[in-house]
Amino acid sequence: MTDPKKTHPSDTDIRPHTFDGIQEFNHRLPNWWLFTLYGAVVFWLCYWSYYQWFHEGPDDRHRIQAELVQVEAAKLAAMASSHLDNASLWAMSRNPVIVASGRKTFEANCTPCHLASLRGRSENKLAIGPDLTVRIWIHGGHPIDLYHTVTQGVPAKGMPTWGPILGPRRITEAVAYVLSHHQEGEPIIDAATLPPGSK
Amino acid sequence: MNEEKKITIEFNDGIVRQFLIATLVWAIVAMLVGVLIAAQLNFWQLNFGTSWLTWSRLRPLHTNAAIFAFVGNMMFAGVYYSTQRLVKARLASNFLSQLHFWGWQAIIVSAAATLPFGLTRGKEYAELIWPINVMVVIVWVVFAVNFFWTLARRNEPSLYVAIWFYIATIITVAMLYIVNHLAIPTSWTHSYGVFGGVQDALVQWWYGHNAVAFFLTTPILGIMYYFLPKAAERPVYSYRLSVVHFWSLVFVYIWAGPHHLLNTALPTWLQNLGMTFSLMLWAPSWGGMLNGLLTLRGAWDKVRTDPVLKFFAAAVTFYGMATFEGPMLAIRSVNALAHYTDWIIAHVHAGTLGWNGFMAAGMIYWLLPRLWNKPLHSVALANAHFWIGLVGILLYVGAMWTSGITQGVMLNATVDNGTALAYPNFLDTVNAIRPMMLMRVIGGALYLTGWFLMAYNAIRTVRGAQAVNGTIEVIAPSADEKPEIKPLGLVGTFINPPVLFSLIGGGFLCAWMFGGDVLKICGLVGALVCFALAYAHMESRGKSWAAWYDRLLVTALPFTVLTFVAVVAGGLIQIIPTVVANQAMNVEDRRQIPYTPLELSGFDLYVSNGCYLCHSQMIRTLMPDVLRYGDYSRLGESIYDHPFEWGSKRNGPDLARVGGKYPNVWHLRHLDDPRAISPGSNMPSFHWLLADKLDLSNLARRIDVQRQLGVPYPPMSAEEILASAHRQAAQVADDLAKAGAPTPPDREVIALIAYLQHLGKFEIVPGRAPDPNRIGD
Amino acid sequence: MPPAHHPNRDTVTTIREDGSRRFLYPADVRGRFSLARRISALLLIAVYALLPWIPVGGYPAVFLDVAARRFHLFGLTLAAQDIWLLFFLITGLGFLLFIVTALFGRLWCGWACPQTVFLDHVYRRIERWVEGDGVQRRTLADAPWGPGKIARAAVKHAAYIVVSLGIAHLFLAYYVSIPALWAMMTGAPGRHWAAFVFIALATGVVYFNFAWFREQLCIIICPYGRLQSVLTDDHTLIIGYDAARGEPRGPAGAHAAGDCIACDRCVRVCPTGIDIRQGLQMECIGCAACVDACDEVMAHTGRPPGLVRYDSLAGLARKPKRIWRPRLAIYSVLLLFGATAATWGVLSIHPVLLTAIRLTGAPYYLDQGIVRNQYLVRLVNKQNSPATVRLDVSGLRPGASARGVEDAIEVPPMGEELRPLIIEQSRSTYQGPFAFRVHAADPAEGVDVGLSLEFLGPATAGSYP
Repeated sequence: MTDPKKTHPSDTDIRPHTFDGIQEFNHRLPNWWLFTLYGAVVFWLCYWSYYQWFHEGPDDRHRIQAELVQVEAAKLAAMASSHLDNASLWAMSRNPVIVASGRKTFEANCTPCHLASLRGRSENKLAIGPDLTVRIWIHGGHPIDLYHTVTQGVPAKGMPTWGPILGPRRITEAVAYVLSHHQEGEPIIDAATLPPGSK
Repeated sequence: MNEEKKITIEFNDGIVRQFLIATLVWAIVAMLVGVLIAAQLNFWQLNFGTSWLTWSRLRPLHTNAAIFAFVGNMMFAGVYYSTQRLVKARLASNFLSQLHFWGWQAIIVSAAATLPFGLTRGKEYAELIWPINVMVVIVWVVFAVNFFWTLARRNEPSLYVAIWFYIATIITVAMLYIVNHLAIPTSWTHSYGVFGGVQDALVQWWYGHNAVAFFLTTPILGIMYYFLPKAAERPVYSYRLSVVHFWSLVFVYIWAGPHHLLNTALPTWLQNLGMTFSLMLWAPSWGGMLNGLLTLRGAWDKVRTDPVLKFFAAAVTFYGMATFEGPMLAIRSVNALAHYTDWIIAHVHAGTLGWNGFMAAGMIYWLLPRLWNKPLHSVALANAHFWIGLVGILLYVGAMWTSGITQGVMLNATVDNGTALAYPNFLDTVNAIRPMMLMRVIGGALYLTGWFLMAYNAIRTVRGAQAVNGTIEVIAPSADEKPEIKPLGLVGTFINPPVLFSLIGGGFLCAWMFGGDVLKICGLVGALVCFALAYAHMESRGKSWAAWYDRLLVTALPFTVLTFVAVVAGGLIQIIPTVVANQAMNVEDRRQIPYTPLELSGFDLYVSNGCYLCHSQMIRTLMPDVLRYGDYSRLGESIYDHPFEWGSKRNGPDLARVGGKYPNVWHLRHLDDPRAISPGSNMPSFHWLLADKLDLSNLARRIDVQRQLGVPYPPMSAEEILASAHRQAAQVADDLAKAGAPTPPDREVIALIAYLQHLGKFEIVPGRAPDPNRIGD
Repeated sequence: MPPAHHPNRDTVTTIREDGSRRFLYPADVRGRFSLARRISALLLIAVYALLPWIPVGGYPAVFLDVAARRFHLFGLTLAAQDIWLLFFLITGLGFLLFIVTALFGRLWCGWACPQTVFLDHVYRRIERWVEGDGVQRRTLADAPWGPGKIARAAVKHAAYIVVSLGIAHLFLAYYVSIPALWAMMTGAPGRHWAAFVFIALATGVVYFNFAWFREQLCIIICPYGRLQSVLTDDHTLIIGYDAARGEPRGPAGAHAAGDCIACDRCVRVCPTGIDIRQGLQMECIGCAACVDACDEVMAHTGRPPGLVRYDSLAGLARKPKRIWRPRLAIYSVLLLFGATAATWGVLSIHPVLLTAIRLTGAPYYLDQGIVRNQYLVRLVNKQNSPATVRLDVSGLRPGASARGVEDAIEVPPMGEELRPLIIEQSRSTYQGPFAFRVHAADPAEGVDVGLSLEFLGPATAGSYP
């Protein structure tokens, strides 16, 4: 490579042919430029081996599934309890700290329809939302049903999908606040199980 | 040298003048439409209440006019001017030249007469309806025949590098265009493409990416290799660089298409190929940039005074910037942020305004005095064009970069340990970039002003001037004369060290990529040995390689064949496994439920109204996408879409799972007046959908064609199809009436709502879960 | 001693004929421009090093907090929604550079670009200190490897790496702030892999660039150098050689010789390897080293300075000079226009942001003879102090009323609050859709922002469709 004969600047290194008066030098390319090309090829060899041969790197589906699991875990961790079921929701409804934050969330988001008293239409016939203090529930008879109703909403009736807006922590707290207006473990009846017209 | 043998050839420069004027006209048209639609993003009222001036109908007109009308005509002018001189021959046929010119203009006019009225195939840069596609193919063949016939009659045995690029352009564009436009017509104005879902996505971006490569890049590089050294009056910097970057560019470019589909449902192996080959593309692209720049280097003092060289120097610089940005955007993590945002718009406009636009301007300013034999009317005005164009690009690209980064940051931002979106409302991200939408209009308008200056300068130059045709004296070929360099035969074309090493090495690499473990090891070892042998051979017998290449350059056909071999490889390796794989099995765990007849009509309306230009239907395998739009899209969830609707830009939110999310009345009111539902939305009002009656006359034929394409429609008679459509329309209309929005069931909006409510419907496919890492799966 | 290589216009000096790199060993140079450049460079380095340390309004003077999407600039705090102001920064810098370049050529490259500032005033200083002047450096490079050469190389590269680490850490400090950076530096790398990898990569890139790549960046990579070249014209101040005075070259006192004594000092001091006497060239970064070098030689030979000088091409050709050109006026107007718009933009940034969407579900609900629309109002407080905001609705049609605006809303500093807003109208009074406005006001902070929303309902006679 370091042949001294090659290192002198030569104006004679020009192609003999001309095209419409255009001449062409035949200079070498900068070596570092060539190495970027070789480097990219080597990167391709390594990258392909890593993903397609040795299957070391996760493919997209496995990666996103793993991320989804992580997000689910983070959501659970963000809740006031590490796992969510009827018992834990009841337990939270007895915890004054959780109930107090739930009250804040409730008053900021739920009172326009369900009123600050939670009594909704029982208090005022023109209120939008139903009474949350009675024992007959329209959308399921368990605390966990209430959690899902808040998260997913009832768009047909106007109950918004709160999940993406409030997130799991604030929703569990608000549910706990609602439950704090009930006796722990008190029997709640799912309205769907009642014979029609009995309400 | 015998005096009697000398003959004078007069070049066909008339055709160059025609194409040059057409370039000016269409450039201004394309940019005017661009400025209008840019303004519409901020001021939705600028469609003046008409359907045919609506953003989503005009956007295809803008892209098609800019690519095929503006750059197309510019390319033909440059190719015809330079080729005649480089091969010392007049264009082979005056008739074919005229047919080429008028055929191409007829195509452009037909495009302008169909696209605004919703007659479209719904694939980007491939929107033209099938009868126009046929015209394009015919005219392109006319161009090819005219070009190669001229080469056959050349008086200059060796082919200059510009001609290599022209050859690559002609054959590759033909290949790309034909494959991506394969379709079965359902009427004179409508057809369904033969590919659907993921196959269509792959073929479309194989085409779309390489339209950029072989329509906006290679011909312009050829033009650069002729006009830049001519204008600079300097030798080209490096012939060796020309050889290396030509072959690496045409070979590598084809593979990079899947980088438009990163993080989507496209199989991972294709995404990996797309990303790695895009990175490999950086060096070949910069090879062209370097060769242009270092050629200009010797005449750098002239750059200051000569507007032509100014345009070329800036164009080459923008080419370098765009081809640096491109590979960077193809890195999966960067792409996750930038894809579907205005960053991509910044990227393509740095390329088209900076590289194509400035190359065109430089070429035209150089040609005008030569074609009309009169000095340019005003050099100062040409300089002014340059200054104002540069300011325009700065504003435009600055605005779109800012906007793209804002969108990327806001759309991907999460809070609460990544469990919730920081900006769950898509409109928040739209309203954050509204000022940028205004700035892009100003930048674009300034750039357009430059072209008005040029048009004025051209008119003043041409007026009163006498058009002249170039001439050249050549020595008439005589039969007994032996060529200096012996041309290559078929054997010589393929049986020689460079080609054999490349083919065998490529074969080994394919074995390594796609084989089993044993084959992989053999392939890798073989490829490395092959490379080492090739290197050793080149070092010791470099002269024989050079001599072979010199012989190749005097034989146009083998050169063309080898170029075709180089460009076809990437496409074959990517497309064939995807197309032959069993579609119905190849769906991951979900399969799309085919549309009902009414929903299919809605799908056709979605396409013809250009909804896909602002809304994607592809939830990427990225957490922010999943948080915003729902579970990530599976391969099987779009297999029956002809064309695929994955989209390329999100001016509005993704729609892959919008079905069932809102009641029918929501869609009705939203289509009628988007701002009534989404305060601050910039979506145009599609009120005509509520007024226009749905045309079901062709529906049976369309379903028939869908069935031929493999969509599993049960056997239905034409009457049954209509009855089904009417029944479903009545259901939707009933629901709307119940919600207090009575709408006649025979309106287009009913079908579109039915379609939107279907989006995201799938069935679970039992059986094996395919491995996305496996090729063919 | 002649330079190792005579630059010419056909080849690039730093690329040898075999494609390998020809390393440059620019000779020392003294003079007024070199001194001025050193002072300005040290100032610029000081600014770069100090900005993350100086607190303004409770935050570092420049703190681009990407993680929290808050951008603190000299006391001004911007949110992600305000990133569009970045446009004015990009284009304003663009126009400023257009003007500066039209007037003074590649002033940026030679005087202010970080590449030149760090290379000439930090890395080459280290090199000079360890390995000696240009001739000594070349001799050392050509010498065989021995203990002395190895020791010098080790010291030099160690110093390079230390400086590169410093530059990379400072760069990161702009994005994470000094205290957070310090916490990361003192913690285990495993607890902040992203930052660790970033620092490693950035240090590597900086080291490679300044230790080896150097002027190749300016010649081959940097688009801005080229754009500056196309922005010059005949009246732009550039560094040029006065050929009329200098030619023909010859030793001092030779018959009919011009002022250039062909000493090649200008070539030997050039950091990009050109001969300025061959005219304006692509590689010239306008560092003025050749000006100082030539002036020194002219002083020695008793001739006036300025054979190589800052001048316009018109000036060098003895033509009338012009400073103000129409281009400059246009750039200035555009710059002013942009500055005005940016100022307006900054002033119009409200400390409280108000947006509203419809809640998911139907556009309107019909219930007990009432038409109901449900919205979600979002209030973002961009200040460091809490805001007490009162919502207010105006422009409702008779019979319509709002729920959810009764209580004042406390928005925490840098935080946000969501409130449902419900508008109801009895069906009997509903006569078609209408627009109304929502206001958020905090009189204490002087905040009053509003936006327009639409109230929808079922079709009424003659209204729809």
